[in-house]
Amino acid sequence: MTIATAPQTAATVLQYRDVQKLYGDFVALQGVSMEVKKQQVVCLIGPSGSGKSTLLRCTNALETIDGGEILFDGVRLPKDRTAIRKVRQRMGMVFQNFELFPHKTAIENVIMGPSTVLGLSDEASRDRAEALLKKVGLADKAKNYPANLSGGQQQRVAIARALAMEPEVMLFDEPTSALDPETIGEVLNVMKALADDGMTMIVVTHEMTFARRVADHVVVFERGEIIEQGPPKQIFEAPTTARTRDFLGHLGWDG
Amino acid sequence: MTLDWSIVPASAGALAHGALITIALTVLTMAVAVPCGIVVALLRESRFKPIAFLATCFVELFRNLPIILVVYWAFYVMPVVLDLSFSPFVTGLVALCLNNTAYNSETFRSGIRSIRKGQTEAALAMGMSEGQAFRKIVLPQAWRRVLPVLATTWVTLFKDTSLVSVIAVGDLAHTAMQIRSQSFRVIEMLTAMAAIYWLLGYPQAKLADWIHKKFGVTE
Repeated sequence: MTIATAPQTAATVLQYRDVQKLYGDFVALQGVSMEVKKQQVVCLIGPSGSGKSTLLRCTNALETIDGGEILFDGVRLPKDRTAIRKVRQRMGMVFQNFELFPHKTAIENVIMGPSTVLGLSDEASRDRAEALLKKVGLADKAKNYPANLSGGQQQRVAIARALAMEPEVMLFDEPTSALDPETIGEVLNVMKALADDGMTMIVVTHEMTFARRVADHVVVFERGEIIEQGPPKQIFEAPTTARTRDFLGHLGWDG
Repeated sequence: MTLDWSIVPASAGALAHGALITIALTVLTMAVAVPCGIVVALLRESRFKPIAFLATCFVELFRNLPIILVVYWAFYVMPVVLDLSFSPFVTGLVALCLNNTAYNSETFRSGIRSIRKGQTEAALAMGMSEGQAFRKIVLPQAWRRVLPVLATTWVTLFKDTSLVSVIAVGDLAHTAMQIRSQSFRVIEMLTAMAAIYWLLGYPQAKLADWIHKKFGVTE
């Protein structure tokens, strides 16, 4: 049951044009072009090392690109450090290894962005953090340190932390890859709820069921290239390229 | 051989004063060498290569010279070459600070490097500046990790302050040696000196052990 399907006319939030990324001689991205519309959930799938995460990290300039361009809200990603900070404040990022700050409690992790970066008052930051922890179902764990939370709980705090900046787009970099199987569901549920609320999301994932049920658009990567993209129905039920069929076949995916 | 221990209580006042100087040297050296160590560690990691190179030279120079040589150098050479001359106390302090800054910078550098890159990335991704990410995320974590090493450095430093006695700083070692040579009570004074250093040093070592236990284990 998908609720929020982005209308075709929705504004483009992110546009990638012929993006290239090199690590020395290794070509991580070779001419990637795609776009993400407002309220769309775009899932990036493909084998490990195929460039999905690299593209995500280029999106908020944790990595710089070597060719092509990335437009955010119609504007090319800036090179200037202060300008790039402004862009990052409008994007939330969730990491594979959570990267919660271990010396801060759950709620302090969430407060940090609004108070340090946005300059909100202590009270406003705390109110926002409490509401978000409630939203991800962890109001009762506010005072726990990350070390005293399960992986799934840590990742939900990390999602709350990213949301605290009230981002226009959320970037998820394999958010469930480091989790025990029994805690994957709770994180995917939070992400699904976020998608239903109309959040624009790019999700690098190996969770094909999630991609199939939640994504509006699926992009298949292989060796730094997009080999196929389209609605999940097309990708999973009638892939047009042999390479997509191969990839899905290797996962044991049979529709 | 007759021993006359009365020299020890008779010199109590002078020895206590010497002990205070020793403690002051230790505290002041650390107060300077900890922040300076952080700065030098950051300079070594600087993107600007000449700065990183100079910081490396500083560290490798002072880390690999015997402290006593640095003490002599500060006392005899610094006034001539740099036209800087201080009291023996400040001169000794400068020498100890140079050595300890070099050591502490290495301690901090390894501590900072031990913090996963993902932590900085998470901070940057939420829009923090690199300075904020360092101060609010990396340094507090690195600090916890290096605390046990700093505690050990402290205990070593407390004993090493005795090296400044060669330039007549009135620390515990120098004071005790002075009384020894005036009274010829060699065994008594050396024993008293050992006892005082040990009594002052032992609690510090125990405190360092406690810090190791409390902060040494990570994740």
